[in-house]
Amino acid sequence: MISNMLRFSPSFFEGLDEMFNPEFPALAAARSRIRAYPQVNMGVTDKSVEIYLFAPGMEADELDVTLEKNLLSVSGERKADEQDDEDAINRRERFVGKFKRSIALPEDVDPEKTEALYRNGVLHISVSKKEEVQPRQIKVSV
Amino acid sequence: MTKETGKEAALHESENKKVQKSFTENPAGRAQTLDLIPAADIHETKEGATLYIDLPGVDRDSLDISVDNDVLTITGAVNLNTPDNLNPTYMDVHAGTYKRQFTLSAELDSSKIDANLKNGVLKLVIPRSEKHKPRKIEVKAA
Repeated sequence: MISNMLRFSPSFFEGLDEMFNPEFPALAAARSRIRAYPQVNMGVTDKSVEIYLFAPGMEADELDVTLEKNLLSVSGERKADEQDDEDAINRRERFVGKFKRSIALPEDVDPEKTEALYRNGVLHISVSKKEEVQPRQIKVSV
Repeated sequence: MTKETGKEAALHESENKKVQKSFTENPAGRAQTLDLIPAADIHETKEGATLYIDLPGVDRDSLDISVDNDVLTITGAVNLNTPDNLNPTYMDVHAGTYKRQFTLSAELDSSKIDANLKNGVLKLVIPRSEKHKPRKIEVKAA
């Protein structure tokens, strides 16, 4: 009972995002709350396919990465942060739970040459392209 | 890690704009990219408040936390160390900077914020100011 009375006022934390965001407030709210976990950015170089998965709050050994033919799958479970029973949750936007994301890579990759590194909450996977599809210099003989 | 606002924060923001011109920039380059709004959880504890903010891709050097007139501002630049010749093929994350602001209630002591960044998650512990801490009142026998 006493603990309820000692709670902070409702305006304890007010998101100021809306005020500072040139977009419509509703859109800004949607941008911050509806999102996939993990989010993915992908790109290619002459020699490789580079995949970046935004998976904050994990440990490297909690991420399960498989590459079968050209289908890359990343799965895991993000655990909730420790909290006291008496804590009040004012806002909960971050993803918690099991996830799996599969990404089709270009078919010309060599699964044997794959590297994965988890750093600052981003899983970076680099897969080499097959050598026959990598660009090569052709000498012109005189 | 907590800094007072002023020149330093402003300086940092212009630096972040440069970083935006990287992999995470909108490939079409038409619309100006907006800051990302990171997902946040707020736990209210007996001691004060604990904030968890997802900032994947941000390292300590590109993170800026400031408090000005009870407004807490968190900005961070995404740094993926992408290869120079990367050609983006798919992107969920279209901007290179996170920004989020919160108003702190007067019940909190903004001069004693403890910040910890791990695996892309920023944990901020903000203590209740001394005069707002719950205290036990002894009742004397008459």
